[in-house]
Amino acid sequence: MLKSRLIFALLMKNGSYQLSRNFNLQDVGDLNWIKKHYNFDAIAFSIDELIVVNVERGNKNVDLFCEKLMELNKNCFMPIAAGGGIRSMDDAYKILNSGADKIIVNTPLISQQNLVRSLVETFGSQCVIASIDYKKTNNEHVEVLIDNGSKSIELSLDEAVENAHELGCGEIYLTSIEQDGTGYGYDLKILEHIVNISKMPVIASGGAGKYKHFVEGVQKAGASAVSTANLFNFIADGLIEVRKTMIDRGLEMATWNLNFRKINFVKNY
Amino acid sequence: MISILNYGMGNIRSVENALNYLGVEYKLIDTPEEILESEKLIIPGVGSFRKAMENMKKKKFIEPLNEVAMKKKIPILGICLGMQLMAEESQEDGLTKGLGWIKVTIKKIPAEKTDIKVPHVGFNEVIFEEKNKKLYEELEDKADFYYAHSYMLGYDDCDCVSGWTEYGEKLVGSIEKDNIYGTQFHPEKSQSNGLIMLKNFMDL
Repeated sequence: MLKSRLIFALLMKNGSYQLSRNFNLQDVGDLNWIKKHYNFDAIAFSIDELIVVNVERGNKNVDLFCEKLMELNKNCFMPIAAGGGIRSMDDAYKILNSGADKIIVNTPLISQQNLVRSLVETFGSQCVIASIDYKKTNNEHVEVLIDNGSKSIELSLDEAVENAHELGCGEIYLTSIEQDGTGYGYDLKILEHIVNISKMPVIASGGAGKYKHFVEGVQKAGASAVSTANLFNFIADGLIEVRKTMIDRGLEMATWNLNFRKINFVKNY
Repeated sequence: MISILNYGMGNIRSVENALNYLGVEYKLIDTPEEILESEKLIIPGVGSFRKAMENMKKKKFIEPLNEVAMKKKIPILGICLGMQLMAEESQEDGLTKGLGWIKVTIKKIPAEKTDIKVPHVGFNEVIFEEKNKKLYEELEDKADFYYAHSYMLGYDDCDCVSGWTEYGEKLVGSIEKDNIYGTQFHPEKSQSNGLIMLKNFMDL
Protein backbone atom coordinates (compact mmCIF):
# COMPACT_ATOMS: atom_id res chain seq x y z
CA MET A 1 0.00 0.00 0.00
CA LEU A 2 1.10 3.55 -0.69
CA LYS A 3 2.76 5.01 2.40
CA SER A 4 2.20 8.44 3.90
CA ARG A 5 5.11 10.80 3.45
CA LEU A 6 6.91 13.00 5.94
CA ILE A 7 8.64 15.90 4.21
CA PHE A 8 11.22 18.34 5.49
CA ALA A 9 11.17 21.64 3.63
CA LEU A 10 14.17 23.94 3.56
CA LEU A 11 13.70 27.57 2.63
CA MET A 12 16.69 29.30 1.16
CA LYS A 13 17.57 32.91 0.48
CA ASN A 14 20.94 33.93 -0.97
CA GLY A 15 22.38 30.59 0.08
CA SER A 16 21.22 30.90 3.66
CA TYR A 17 18.45 28.87 5.33
CA GLN A 18 15.39 30.73 6.55
CA LEU A 19 12.71 30.52 9.16
CA SER A 20 9.37 31.75 7.88
CA ARG A 21 6.40 33.01 9.87
CA ASN A 22 3.38 34.11 7.87
CA PHE A 23 5.90 34.40 5.02
CA ASN A 24 8.11 36.86 6.92
CA LEU A 25 11.66 35.56 6.81
CA GLN A 26 14.36 35.29 9.39
CA ASP A 27 17.90 34.27 8.53
CA VAL A 28 19.02 31.15 10.38
CA GLY A 29 22.30 29.97 8.89
CA ASP A 30 24.04 27.99 6.17
CA LEU A 31 24.31 24.24 5.64
CA ASN A 32 26.77 24.03 8.54
CA TRP A 33 24.08 25.37 10.84
CA ILE A 34 21.70 22.64 9.64
CA LYS A 35 24.33 19.97 10.09
CA LYS A 36 25.20 21.23 13.56
CA HIS A 37 21.61 21.24 14.78
CA TYR A 38 20.29 18.24 12.93
CA ASN A 39 21.86 14.84 12.90
CA PHE A 40 21.62 14.88 9.15
CA ASP A 41 22.66 11.27 8.63
CA ALA A 42 20.01 10.12 11.06
CA ILE A 43 17.18 12.35 9.89
CA ALA A 44 17.94 11.49 6.29
CA PHE A 45 16.43 8.08 7.06
CA SER A 46 13.50 9.58 8.96
CA ILE A 47 12.03 11.66 6.21
CA ASP A 48 10.64 10.51 2.90
CA GLU A 49 11.39 13.52 0.85
CA LEU A 50 13.08 16.87 0.87
CA ILE A 51 11.63 20.11 -0.48
CA VAL A 52 13.98 23.01 -1.12
CA VAL A 53 12.51 26.39 -1.99
CA ASN A 54 14.28 29.53 -3.08
CA VAL A 55 12.38 32.21 -1.14
CA GLU A 56 14.41 35.21 -2.25
CA ARG A 57 12.17 38.15 -3.03
CA GLY A 58 12.40 39.86 -6.40
CA ASN A 59 14.66 38.35 -9.04
CA LYS A 60 15.96 35.05 -7.74
CA ASN A 61 19.50 33.85 -8.26
CA VAL A 62 18.91 30.41 -9.77
CA ASP A 63 22.61 29.61 -10.22
CA LEU A 64 23.48 30.17 -6.56
CA PHE A 65 20.42 28.16 -5.56
CA CYS A 66 21.55 25.27 -7.77
CA GLU A 67 25.02 25.39 -6.27
CA LYS A 68 23.55 25.07 -2.77
CA LEU A 69 21.22 22.33 -3.95
CA MET A 70 24.16 20.23 -5.13
CA GLU A 71 25.94 20.79 -1.83
CA LEU A 72 22.87 19.47 -0.05
CA ASN A 73 22.03 16.39 -2.07
CA LYS A 74 25.31 14.55 -2.31
CA ASN A 75 24.40 11.91 0.26
CA CYS A 76 20.65 12.18 -0.04
CA PHE A 77 19.02 9.07 -1.42
CA MET A 78 15.51 10.36 -1.26
CA PRO A 79 13.44 12.41 -3.66
CA ILE A 80 14.12 16.12 -3.74
CA ALA A 81 11.65 18.69 -5.00
CA ALA A 82 13.02 22.15 -5.63
CA GLY A 83 11.75 25.43 -6.97
CA GLY A 84 11.16 29.09 -6.45
CA GLY A 85 12.02 31.45 -9.27
CA ILE A 86 11.65 29.03 -12.19
CA ARG A 87 10.79 31.35 -15.07
CA SER A 88 12.13 29.39 -18.07
CA MET A 89 12.80 25.87 -19.31
CA ASP A 90 16.46 26.62 -18.79
CA ASP A 91 15.90 27.33 -15.08
CA ALA A 92 14.08 24.00 -14.76
CA TYR A 93 16.89 22.10 -16.52
CA LYS A 94 19.44 23.72 -14.20
CA ILE A 95 17.50 22.71 -11.11
CA LEU A 96 16.93 19.14 -12.31
CA ASN A 97 20.58 18.84 -13.30
CA SER A 98 21.51 19.92 -9.79
CA GLY A 99 19.95 16.79 -8.35
CA ALA A 100 16.28 17.71 -7.97
CA ASP A 101 13.77 15.09 -9.07
CA LYS A 102 10.78 17.36 -9.13
CA ILE A 103 10.28 21.04 -9.69
CA ILE A 104 7.95 23.32 -7.79
CA VAL A 105 6.11 26.19 -9.46
CA ASN A 106 3.90 28.85 -7.95
CA THR A 107 3.71 32.20 -9.77
CA PRO A 108 3.99 30.65 -13.29
CA LEU A 109 0.73 28.76 -12.62
CA ILE A 110 -0.93 32.11 -13.21
CA SER A 111 1.53 34.29 -15.11
CA GLN A 112 3.36 31.76 -17.35
CA GLN A 113 0.92 28.98 -18.05
CA ASN A 114 2.63 28.00 -21.28
CA LEU A 115 5.85 27.43 -19.36
CA VAL A 116 4.04 25.09 -16.96
CA ARG A 117 2.54 23.20 -19.91
CA SER A 118 6.00 22.80 -21.47
CA LEU A 119 7.44 21.60 -18.17
CA VAL A 120 4.73 18.95 -17.93
CA GLU A 121 5.13 17.94 -21.56
CA THR A 122 8.90 17.57 -21.25
CA PHE A 123 9.35 16.14 -17.76
CA GLY A 124 5.95 14.56 -17.11
CA SER A 125 3.21 15.36 -14.61
CA GLN A 126 4.98 13.50 -11.81
CA CYS A 127 7.83 16.00 -12.06
CA VAL A 128 5.86 19.21 -11.60
CA ILE A 129 4.48 20.28 -8.23
CA ALA A 130 2.00 23.14 -8.01
CA SER A 131 2.65 25.24 -4.95
CA ILE A 132 -0.50 27.05 -3.87
CA ASP A 133 -0.40 29.63 -1.07
CA TYR A 134 -3.57 30.98 0.48
CA LYS A 135 -4.86 32.95 3.42
CA LYS A 136 -8.22 33.82 4.86
CA THR A 137 -9.34 37.41 4.76
CA ASN A 138 -12.45 38.85 6.38
CA ASN A 139 -15.63 36.79 6.53
CA GLU A 140 -13.64 33.59 6.08
CA HIS A 141 -13.08 34.48 2.46
CA VAL A 142 -10.08 32.54 1.13
CA GLU A 143 -7.60 34.34 -1.06
CA VAL A 144 -4.90 32.71 -3.23
CA LEU A 145 -1.59 34.53 -3.51
CA ILE A 146 1.44 34.38 -5.80
CA ASP A 147 4.85 36.10 -5.81
CA ASN A 148 5.87 34.86 -2.33
CA GLY A 149 2.43 35.59 -0.97
CA SER A 150 2.53 39.23 -2.00
CA LYS A 151 -0.08 39.37 -4.71
CA SER A 152 -3.60 38.01 -4.59
CA ILE A 153 -5.19 36.51 -7.68
CA GLU A 154 -8.71 36.31 -8.90
CA LEU A 155 -9.07 32.54 -8.84
CA SER A 156 -10.66 30.97 -5.79
CA LEU A 157 -8.71 28.23 -4.02
CA ASP A 158 -10.81 25.53 -5.67
CA GLU A 159 -10.25 27.16 -9.05
CA ALA A 160 -6.51 27.40 -8.41
CA VAL A 161 -6.39 23.66 -7.72
CA GLU A 162 -8.42 22.94 -10.85
CA ASN A 163 -6.12 25.26 -12.82
CA ALA A 164 -3.05 23.29 -11.63
CA HIS A 165 -4.75 20.07 -12.68
CA GLU A 166 -5.65 21.40 -16.11
CA LEU A 167 -2.07 22.52 -16.63
CA GLY A 168 -1.02 18.92 -15.90
CA CYS A 169 0.75 19.32 -12.55
CA GLY A 170 1.23 16.14 -10.53
CA GLU A 171 0.98 17.29 -6.92
CA ILE A 172 -0.37 20.16 -4.86
CA TYR A 173 1.88 21.70 -2.22
CA LEU A 174 -0.71 23.58 -0.21
CA THR A 175 0.47 26.25 2.22
CA SER A 176 -1.65 28.22 4.64
CA ILE A 177 0.11 31.56 5.02
CA GLU A 178 -1.73 32.22 8.27
CA GLN A 179 -0.59 28.97 9.85
CA ASP A 180 2.94 29.20 8.42
CA GLY A 181 5.54 29.16 11.18
CA THR A 182 3.01 29.39 14.01
CA GLY A 183 3.21 25.83 15.28
CA TYR A 184 -0.56 25.82 15.79
CA GLY A 185 -1.16 22.90 13.44
CA TYR A 186 -2.33 22.59 9.85
CA ASP A 187 -5.47 24.31 8.61
CA LEU A 188 -7.27 20.96 8.67
CA LYS A 189 -10.63 22.14 7.39
CA ILE A 190 -9.34 23.60 4.16
CA LEU A 191 -6.74 20.87 3.78
CA GLU A 192 -9.43 18.21 3.96
CA HIS A 193 -11.58 20.07 1.48
CA ILE A 194 -8.73 20.34 -1.03
CA VAL A 195 -7.78 16.68 -0.57
CA ASN A 196 -11.37 15.79 -1.40
CA ILE A 197 -11.62 17.85 -4.56
CA SER A 198 -8.08 17.21 -5.85
CA LYS A 199 -7.29 14.34 -8.20
CA MET A 200 -3.62 14.91 -7.40
CA PRO A 201 -1.82 14.01 -4.17
CA VAL A 202 -1.76 16.89 -1.68
CA ILE A 203 1.21 17.90 0.49
CA ALA A 204 0.17 19.76 3.65
CA SER A 205 2.26 22.76 4.63
CA GLY A 206 2.08 25.50 7.22
CA GLY A 207 1.59 25.19 10.94
CA ALA A 208 3.04 21.88 12.13
CA GLY A 209 4.45 22.46 15.61
CA LYS A 210 3.76 19.26 17.52
CA TYR A 211 4.17 15.60 16.63
CA LYS A 212 0.41 15.10 16.63
CA HIS A 213 -0.09 17.73 13.95
CA PHE A 214 1.53 15.49 11.36
CA VAL A 215 -0.75 12.62 12.38
CA GLU A 216 -3.79 14.90 12.05
CA GLY A 217 -2.75 16.03 8.58
CA VAL A 218 -2.97 12.45 7.35
CA GLN A 219 -5.66 10.95 9.58
CA LYS A 220 -8.10 13.83 9.80
CA ALA A 221 -7.53 15.64 6.51
CA GLY A 222 -6.31 12.77 4.31
CA ALA A 223 -3.16 14.48 3.02
CA SER A 224 -0.77 12.24 1.03
CA ALA A 225 2.18 13.98 2.63
CA VAL A 226 2.79 16.25 5.59
CA SER A 227 5.59 18.77 5.71
CA THR A 228 7.33 21.20 7.99
CA ALA A 229 9.70 24.02 7.16
CA ASN A 230 10.23 25.01 10.76
CA LEU A 231 13.92 24.81 11.57
CA PHE A 232 13.39 25.22 15.31
CA ASN A 233 10.40 23.07 16.20
CA PHE A 234 11.94 19.73 15.35
CA ILE A 235 15.58 20.34 16.00
CA ALA A 236 18.03 17.54 16.84
CA ASP A 237 16.06 14.26 16.71
CA GLY A 238 12.65 15.91 16.39
CA LEU A 239 11.87 14.50 12.96
CA ILE A 240 12.84 11.00 14.08
CA GLU A 241 10.31 11.37 16.89
CA VAL A 242 7.71 12.67 14.44
CA ARG A 243 8.10 9.56 12.33
CA LYS A 244 7.89 7.30 15.40
CA THR A 245 4.72 9.05 16.50
CA MET A 246 3.16 8.66 13.06
CA ILE A 247 3.92 4.93 13.09
CA ASP A 248 2.70 4.54 16.70
CA ARG A 249 -0.59 6.19 15.76
CA GLY A 250 -1.14 3.60 13.08
CA LEU A 251 -0.04 5.45 9.95
CA GLU A 252 1.56 3.39 7.21
CA MET A 253 5.09 4.70 6.74
CA ALA A 254 7.95 3.38 4.65
CA THR A 255 10.65 1.46 6.51
CA TRP A 256 14.29 1.18 5.66
CA ASN A 257 17.20 -0.80 6.96
CA LEU A 258 18.67 1.63 9.46
CA ASN A 259 21.76 -0.49 9.97
CA PHE A 260 22.40 0.01 6.32
CA ARG A 261 25.53 2.05 6.85
CA LYS A 262 27.10 -0.96 8.51
CA ILE A 263 26.66 -3.08 5.40
CA ASN A 264 30.02 -3.61 3.91
CA PHE A 265 30.12 -2.60 0.30
CA VAL A 266 32.75 -4.12 -1.88
CA LYS A 267 34.58 -1.08 -3.10
CA ASN A 268 36.23 -2.45 -6.21
CA TYR A 269 33.78 -3.10 -8.96
CA MET B 1 33.18 -0.43 -16.25
CA ILE B 2 29.57 0.58 -15.79
CA SER B 3 28.10 3.23 -18.05
CA ILE B 4 25.25 5.63 -17.39
CA LEU B 5 23.46 6.64 -20.57
CA ASN B 6 22.83 10.36 -20.97
CA TYR B 7 20.17 10.97 -23.60
CA GLY B 8 18.95 14.31 -22.36
CA MET B 9 16.15 13.04 -20.14
CA GLY B 10 16.50 13.72 -16.55
CA ASN B 11 18.20 13.42 -13.29
CA ILE B 12 21.41 11.61 -13.91
CA ARG B 13 23.02 13.26 -10.93
CA SER B 14 21.03 11.25 -8.42
CA VAL B 15 22.16 8.00 -10.05
CA GLU B 16 25.72 9.33 -9.96
CA ASN B 17 25.37 10.24 -6.28
CA ALA B 18 24.26 6.71 -5.47
CA LEU B 19 27.10 5.08 -7.41
CA ASN B 20 29.60 7.45 -5.79
CA TYR B 21 28.28 6.44 -2.39
CA LEU B 22 28.66 2.77 -3.28
CA GLY B 23 32.21 3.43 -4.41
CA VAL B 24 31.46 2.30 -7.96
CA GLU B 25 33.48 3.61 -10.86
CA TYR B 26 31.29 4.66 -13.73
CA LYS B 27 31.30 6.62 -16.92
CA LEU B 28 28.65 9.01 -18.19
CA ILE B 29 28.22 8.25 -21.88
CA ASP B 30 26.47 10.03 -24.72
CA THR B 31 27.71 8.55 -27.99
CA PRO B 32 26.78 5.38 -29.94
CA GLU B 33 30.40 4.18 -29.77
CA GLU B 34 30.45 4.40 -25.99
CA ILE B 35 27.26 2.32 -25.82
CA LEU B 36 29.01 -0.43 -27.78
CA GLU B 37 32.00 -0.32 -25.43
CA SER B 38 29.85 -0.63 -22.27
CA GLU B 39 30.15 -3.70 -20.08
CA LYS B 40 27.12 -2.84 -18.00
CA LEU B 41 24.61 -0.09 -18.59
CA ILE B 42 22.15 2.00 -16.62
CA ILE B 43 19.41 3.84 -18.54
CA PRO B 44 17.90 6.43 -16.17
CA GLY B 45 15.31 8.97 -17.17
CA VAL B 46 12.19 10.86 -16.30
CA GLY B 47 9.74 12.60 -18.55
CA SER B 48 8.00 12.08 -21.82
CA PHE B 49 8.30 8.71 -23.59
CA ARG B 50 7.91 10.29 -27.01
CA LYS B 51 10.59 12.89 -26.41
CA ALA B 52 12.93 10.24 -25.01
CA MET B 53 12.55 8.06 -28.12
CA GLU B 54 13.05 11.11 -30.34
CA ASN B 55 16.28 11.88 -28.49
CA MET B 56 17.40 8.25 -28.81
CA LYS B 57 16.81 8.36 -32.57
CA LYS B 58 18.49 11.72 -33.02
CA LYS B 59 21.56 10.54 -31.18
CA LYS B 60 21.57 7.23 -33.14
CA PHE B 61 21.41 5.21 -29.94
CA ILE B 62 18.83 2.63 -30.98
CA GLU B 63 21.00 0.29 -33.04
CA PRO B 64 23.90 0.15 -30.59
CA LEU B 65 21.42 -0.35 -27.73
CA ASN B 66 19.84 -3.29 -29.55
CA GLU B 67 23.30 -4.67 -30.20
CA VAL B 68 24.42 -4.63 -26.54
CA ALA B 69 21.02 -5.73 -25.22
CA MET B 70 20.21 -8.54 -27.64
CA LYS B 71 23.54 -9.77 -29.06
CA LYS B 72 26.24 -8.95 -26.52
CA LYS B 73 23.75 -9.41 -23.72
CA ILE B 74 25.40 -7.10 -21.22
CA PRO B 75 23.40 -6.44 -18.02
CA ILE B 76 21.20 -3.39 -18.53
CA LEU B 77 19.14 -1.63 -15.86
CA GLY B 78 16.41 0.77 -16.94
CA ILE B 79 15.06 3.06 -14.25
CA CYS B 80 11.53 4.50 -14.47
CA LEU B 81 11.23 5.95 -17.98
CA GLY B 82 14.42 4.01 -18.76
CA MET B 83 12.51 0.79 -18.14
CA GLN B 84 9.40 1.92 -19.99
CA LEU B 85 11.49 2.59 -23.11
CA MET B 86 12.27 -1.15 -23.20
CA ALA B 87 8.61 -1.85 -24.00
CA GLU B 88 7.17 -2.27 -27.48
CA GLU B 89 5.13 0.89 -27.30
CA SER B 90 3.55 3.47 -25.03
CA GLN B 91 0.13 5.07 -25.08
CA GLU B 92 1.60 8.32 -23.72
CA ASP B 93 0.93 11.25 -26.17
CA GLY B 94 -0.59 8.95 -28.75
CA LEU B 95 1.11 5.67 -29.58
CA THR B 96 4.93 5.78 -29.61
CA LYS B 97 7.19 2.84 -30.43
CA GLY B 98 9.78 1.85 -27.85
CA LEU B 99 12.89 -0.35 -28.00
CA GLY B 100 10.75 -3.48 -28.00
CA TRP B 101 12.90 -5.63 -25.70
CA ILE B 102 9.89 -6.67 -23.66
CA LYS B 103 6.46 -7.46 -25.02
CA VAL B 104 4.18 -4.99 -23.33
CA THR B 105 2.37 -1.72 -23.97
CA ILE B 106 2.78 1.12 -21.48
CA LYS B 107 -0.58 2.54 -20.43
CA LYS B 108 -1.89 5.22 -18.10
CA ILE B 109 -2.60 4.29 -14.49
CA PRO B 110 -6.38 3.86 -14.57
CA ALA B 111 -7.79 6.17 -11.92
CA GLU B 112 -11.41 6.08 -13.07
CA LYS B 113 -12.41 2.74 -11.58
CA THR B 114 -10.78 3.21 -8.22
CA ASP B 115 -10.38 6.02 -5.81
CA ILE B 116 -6.65 6.59 -6.33
CA LYS B 117 -4.73 9.73 -7.11
CA VAL B 118 -2.54 10.02 -10.18
CA PRO B 119 0.44 10.32 -10.40
CA HIS B 120 1.37 7.47 -8.09
CA VAL B 121 3.86 9.26 -5.84
CA GLY B 122 5.60 8.01 -2.74
CA PHE B 123 7.02 4.89 -1.16
CA ASN B 124 5.05 1.75 -1.81
CA GLU B 125 5.59 -1.91 -1.00
CA VAL B 126 7.06 -4.15 -3.66
CA ILE B 127 6.05 -7.79 -3.58
CA PHE B 128 8.72 -10.04 -5.04
CA GLU B 129 7.97 -12.79 -7.53
CA GLU B 130 9.31 -16.21 -6.67
CA LYS B 131 11.43 -16.37 -9.79
CA ASN B 132 13.49 -13.52 -11.16
CA LYS B 133 14.59 -11.75 -8.06
CA LYS B 134 18.31 -11.29 -8.40
CA LEU B 135 18.05 -7.58 -7.70
CA TYR B 136 16.21 -8.16 -4.42
CA GLU B 137 18.90 -10.13 -2.63
CA GLU B 138 19.37 -9.09 1.02
CA LEU B 139 16.01 -7.30 0.90
CA GLU B 140 12.86 -8.45 2.63
CA ASP B 141 9.68 -9.05 0.67
CA LYS B 142 7.43 -5.96 0.68
CA ALA B 143 10.39 -3.60 0.82
CA ASP B 144 9.43 0.05 0.26
CA PHE B 145 10.55 1.78 -2.90
CA TYR B 146 9.90 5.29 -4.18
CA TYR B 147 7.55 5.70 -7.14
CA ALA B 148 6.65 8.80 -9.14
CA HIS B 149 4.78 7.99 -12.36
CA SER B 150 1.52 8.32 -14.27
CA TYR B 151 2.13 5.55 -16.83
CA MET B 152 2.73 1.91 -16.02
CA LEU B 153 3.19 -1.67 -17.13
CA GLY B 154 0.14 -3.72 -16.20
CA TYR B 155 0.96 -6.84 -14.20
CA ASP B 156 -1.16 -9.15 -16.36
CA ASP B 157 0.28 -7.73 -19.59
CA CYS B 158 3.89 -8.53 -18.75
CA ASP B 159 5.62 -11.92 -18.70
CA CYS B 160 8.88 -10.93 -16.97
CA VAL B 161 7.71 -9.33 -13.73
CA SER B 162 10.14 -9.59 -10.81
CA GLY B 163 8.24 -7.37 -8.38
CA TRP B 164 4.83 -5.71 -8.28
CA THR B 165 2.88 -3.17 -6.31
CA GLU B 166 -0.79 -2.72 -5.56
CA TYR B 167 -2.08 0.71 -6.54
CA GLY B 168 -5.68 0.54 -7.65
CA GLU B 169 -4.61 -2.60 -9.46
CA LYS B 170 -1.41 -4.64 -9.69
CA LEU B 171 1.26 -2.66 -11.48
CA VAL B 172 4.75 -3.76 -12.41
CA GLY B 173 7.45 -2.58 -10.00
CA SER B 174 10.35 -4.32 -11.69
CA ILE B 175 11.19 -6.67 -14.53
CA GLU B 176 13.90 -9.20 -15.18
CA LYS B 177 14.42 -10.96 -18.49
CA ASP B 178 17.80 -12.58 -19.12
CA ASN B 179 20.25 -9.66 -19.07
CA ILE B 180 17.52 -7.00 -19.07
CA TYR B 181 16.43 -5.44 -15.79
CA GLY B 182 14.13 -2.55 -15.09
CA THR B 183 12.44 -0.77 -12.23
CA GLN B 184 9.41 1.48 -12.36
CA PHE B 185 10.43 2.88 -8.97
CA HIS B 186 13.60 4.86 -8.34
CA PRO B 187 16.21 2.79 -6.47
CA GLU B 188 18.51 5.83 -6.35
CA LYS B 189 15.77 7.61 -4.37
CA SER B 190 14.67 4.72 -2.18
CA GLN B 191 17.03 5.19 0.75
CA SER B 192 18.87 2.06 1.93
CA ASN B 193 16.56 -0.34 0.05
CA GLY B 194 17.49 1.25 -3.24
CA LEU B 195 21.19 1.37 -2.53
CA ILE B 196 21.13 -2.36 -1.75
CA MET B 197 19.32 -3.01 -5.01
CA LEU B 198 21.87 -0.97 -7.00
CA LYS B 199 24.64 -2.87 -5.26
CA ASN B 200 22.98 -6.12 -6.38
CA PHE B 201 23.01 -4.89 -9.96
CA MET B 202 26.71 -4.00 -9.64
CA ASP B 203 27.40 -7.50 -8.34
CA LEU B 204 25.76 -9.29 -11.29
